[in-house]
Amino acid sequence: MTRVMVVDDHPMWREGVARELAEEGYEVVATVGEGGQAVRVAAAARPDVVVLDLQLPDLSGVEVIHGLLAAYPTTRILVLSASGEQQDVLDAVKAGATGYLLKSAARSEFLDAVRRTADGDTVFTPGLAGLVLGEYRRLAAAPAPADEPPRLTDRETEVLRLVAKGLSYKQIAERLVVSHRTVQNHVQNTLHKLQLHNRVELVRYAIEQGLDDRE
Amino acid sequence: MTAVARGPARPGTEEFEVPLWRALAVFRIAALSYAAVRVAQNFRHYDHPVLSWVVIGVMAGWTALTIYGYRQPRWRRWPLLIADLAVTAACLLVSPAILGPNGLQLGIANIPVAWIASPVLAWAISGGRRRGVIAAIIMGICDLISFSSYNGASLDSPVLLILAGLAVGHVARLSVEAQERLQRATELDAANRERERLARGIHDSVLQVLALVQRRGTELGGEAAELGRLAGEQQAALRTLVGSGPAVPPDGDVDLRTVLGRYASGTVSLATPAHPVAVPATVADELTLAVGAALANVAQHCATGTRAWVLVEKEDSSVLVTIRDDGPGIPPGRLDEAAAAGRLGVAQSIKGRIRDLGGSVAYASTPGQGTEVELRVPA
Repeated sequence: MTRVMVVDDHPMWREGVARELAEEGYEVVATVGEGGQAVRVAAAARPDVVVLDLQLPDLSGVEVIHGLLAAYPTTRILVLSASGEQQDVLDAVKAGATGYLLKSAARSEFLDAVRRTADGDTVFTPGLAGLVLGEYRRLAAAPAPADEPPRLTDRETEVLRLVAKGLSYKQIAERLVVSHRTVQNHVQNTLHKLQLHNRVELVRYAIEQGLDDRE
Repeated sequence: MTAVARGPARPGTEEFEVPLWRALAVFRIAALSYAAVRVAQNFRHYDHPVLSWVVIGVMAGWTALTIYGYRQPRWRRWPLLIADLAVTAACLLVSPAILGPNGLQLGIANIPVAWIASPVLAWAISGGRRRGVIAAIIMGICDLISFSSYNGASLDSPVLLILAGLAVGHVARLSVEAQERLQRATELDAANRERERLARGIHDSVLQVLALVQRRGTELGGEAAELGRLAGEQQAALRTLVGSGPAVPPDGDVDLRTVLGRYASGTVSLATPAHPVAVPATVADELTLAVGAALANVAQHCATGTRAWVLVEKEDSSVLVTIRDDGPGIPPGRLDEAAAAGRLGVAQSIKGRIRDLGGSVAYASTPGQGTEVELRVPA
């Protein structure tokens, strides 16, 4: 049975989501309202999927995601956001979340997203696809990049643009005459490259800071 | 830190005076060197040549002491300022006695020459124009006294001193005010950020509740579903308001994300980069109207509840806006037919607008996957 942890500071929302998940046959292993607490219980609760609200009272979304992945690296994080604050969402997926959904999504969409996240798929909204496309363009256009910025292949760009225009993976597969799995892989790759680049940048930053401190 | 304000300098502004004090130190050394050169050239004609070197020595010592003293903010107070004025005045007032009538006939006014301006400048830096002028008047009177003992008074030096005191005092006051303004702006900025952060939290909880109402309402059905639908619409409106963040593109330009945000709703989803897509205001207006026309077209020709997606992309030299709907699509040739029949609704309002901007419009329709309108304008 898939183990799910729900992290949300809004009690009604938290309980509602937990109930829906339980009704659908998921094992809700923890429901918590704070980021710090989520990070503390993650190792013991061992959730396959964390349904995470980005706006928590104590920690930023990125901090919680880093904490969760450090505590239990195999967990997959599905971000739910009410406000859809663009930079927050982009930072969250760069930090390692593999799915994103607006809270206004219908119950069926939500349950589908949890199922796909548990399967290891990436869950993109059209809005997130637009953000990721924009981020690749920003990195490519950045003046004097420290190293080779990550690039999308033509096919990946094509797939992302179709996602951003609201096509389902099934529709994209039909249009490009490829398998559903191939579409899924392309989307996943776009995210992985961005996350990898982000980790490299973080390490570089840490090294630079460390060297500065020693001076 | 003491709460007593010294002249215009309030706590935290001392930093900004540092360059002025440094400039004064340079002036003192330069003026001292000039005075020493003058004495070296002329001391044989003086009544008391040895004493003239003693005065130069005192000036050198005092220059060193004041350069050190004024470097410490806590020393820039009345005792040092008054002592500065007194020592300088003394060097000036003993000059006639040392030079004697012979010295004065060589056209030498006094031993310190321009060095007497240093306390005036010090007062001006520490307290602004008024203090600078007071010091200039005191020093000017001393200059008149020393001069008048021989050949009457000349107002040249006092006037120069007063002007120097005024000018430097003014600059000192300006720099301190600029610093204070900068500090106030920084504080205001911090306060705004904090307010923004709080507002974000509030918006988020409102959105949470709206999402909950929408979700439960839809599940319950009937009248509750209608309430849920209303909550959903408000959610979309509020989300666009807060979602795009405070980033403002450079002057004259408009962030396309913000202006197109008005179209986001329960049925229209907007995908944009996370950073501003800056375009000139005229381009933004035309694009907004064109997108509006395309969406109106969807509403007019497709069944209610047809969803639409707007994708905004910034490429190297152009901005690309794509509008897709999941309606039945436009049969091939339909647009040309309409144009031929004189019903130019879509063609005119969209194609015309975009062509005027030097851009292009492309229509595409895939059976079962709705219609796409691609607007590309140079940017």
